[in-house]
Amino acid sequence: MRTYELINVDSPNLIEDIFPYSLPPLISFEDKIQETIDGQRVEFDPREVKTRDIHLTDTTFRDGQQARPPYKKEHMVELYRMLSRLGGPNGVIRQSEFFLYTKNDRETIEECRSLGLRYPEITGWIRANKMDFRLVKEMELRETGMLTSSSDYHIFHKQNQTRREAMDQYVEVAEAALEHGVRPRCHLEDVTRADLPGFVFPFVQRLEKLTESAPENMKVKIRLCDTMGFGLSYPNAAEPRSIPKLIWRLMNECGVSADRLEWHGHNDFHKVHINGATCWIYGLDAVNTTLFGFGERTGNPPLEGAIIEYVALKGDLCGIDLSVITELAQYYEKVIGTTLTPNYPFVGRDFNTTRAGIHAGGLRRDERIYNIFDTTELLNRPPRVAITDKSGTDGIALWVNDFLGLKGEERLTVMKVAKIQRWVMDQYENEGRMSSITDEELEEQVKTHLTEYYAKRKE
Amino acid sequence: MTREEIAQRVTMVTARELKLSEAEIKEADHFAFDLGADSLKSIELVAAYEEEFNLTLDEEEALKVQTVGAAINFFNTLLN
Repeated sequence: MRTYELINVDSPNLIEDIFPYSLPPLISFEDKIQETIDGQRVEFDPREVKTRDIHLTDTTFRDGQQARPPYKKEHMVELYRMLSRLGGPNGVIRQSEFFLYTKNDRETIEECRSLGLRYPEITGWIRANKMDFRLVKEMELRETGMLTSSSDYHIFHKQNQTRREAMDQYVEVAEAALEHGVRPRCHLEDVTRADLPGFVFPFVQRLEKLTESAPENMKVKIRLCDTMGFGLSYPNAAEPRSIPKLIWRLMNECGVSADRLEWHGHNDFHKVHINGATCWIYGLDAVNTTLFGFGERTGNPPLEGAIIEYVALKGDLCGIDLSVITELAQYYEKVIGTTLTPNYPFVGRDFNTTRAGIHAGGLRRDERIYNIFDTTELLNRPPRVAITDKSGTDGIALWVNDFLGLKGEERLTVMKVAKIQRWVMDQYENEGRMSSITDEELEEQVKTHLTEYYAKRKE
Repeated sequence: MTREEIAQRVTMVTARELKLSEAEIKEADHFAFDLGADSLKSIELVAAYEEEFNLTLDEEEALKVQTVGAAINFFNTLLN
């Protein structure tokens, strides 16, 4: 056993190289990761993520829209514009895929295109049949996703085909795309429940052969669709659920390069975000995401979570404007009319709101104690306190000082707000109140008990 | 202001805020354990002392004071 002695220090060790506060907490690795494949140790170097061209792609308007009432055209155009601002000039949000089926779908694409934004690049999504491919040609897209289901659940029980028939049909549509100068992105639906050596790898190798002599920007892309959220990030998990093994085999045995591999997850087992991030770590470049995780059933990797993970991995904002996340949330709530869960990370009403008095006390002394990073600077969301019978006088002092805009030495002590706290406690103890105190009620109390300060604020 | 005057005013304010008679209050009394002041009442008491002596107190220093006698000494030091 190793003995650890207390190191008594004069100044605190805030571990600021990992928790810089001016950025989300950074993720760093100390060594390679090992995985056992076919009895052999293989290695992945997660530190390479800093220099690799990892990025996000977006499916807000495709999978995201499958889970909710359709967006209006103007909503989609505005969201597209905001996605471009969020991802910044380096194209951290590289592509966004759109349906092509309705007139509204096609007009939306036209309008988004007319904005002249470089990123995200607009791509399509079709089923793997030639009729659908006609739509891609009409819209003159450079790339389209196509549904190429890969598990026997889909091939046998949904499509009523043999593996050979399914593969031939998929390859035929990919060939048609290539003939028309459109880059195919084959979506391996249900890949984490598929017979990998019996169907997926032979199919991918056949696709690879199709474009082996094509220029880089026309080689087939592969999207790994974890349709039911079965994928596992754990080292040495068994196939077909293992994400590390799937990526390793596709890259090393099938020859698919990192820039042509994309992950599309689902959240059925609460693994959606970490599975996406795991894919970046284990070597593929693109993680497909949707705004606020809206997607079929339990949803897809939340875009805002992935972009913060990106910053944490890169250790730099890389041109990303994180404050757009807050604008997007406000747009959903105020314009589209979609309510976001209050405790939803980074955007929910309460994500950085504390109700506990002891936390409020910490926040008053140094906001870093109970705030995950500088949410004021990065997200335009200062930490807040919601007032209940649990908030304590510290909570009241925090609320009042923020409301009055008092900083540093000007800030009022708990003694100055004691009368307001007494009123709050009377609400619960004497009036039988069950709800939080509203901002309007607190403002009224400030007006009554701190009249001079209130008048100054109004000036 | 003499220590006796300060003691008298501290006792008066304490009795008023904690709804006790002045005769019940002794210098050795602990605000929480002997006089029953919970955390909010303790803050209200300090706020009342501030008003009585027309002072703005440092929060941390003021809330460290635990007994009536310590409060008398605290204000005696501040005012003299």
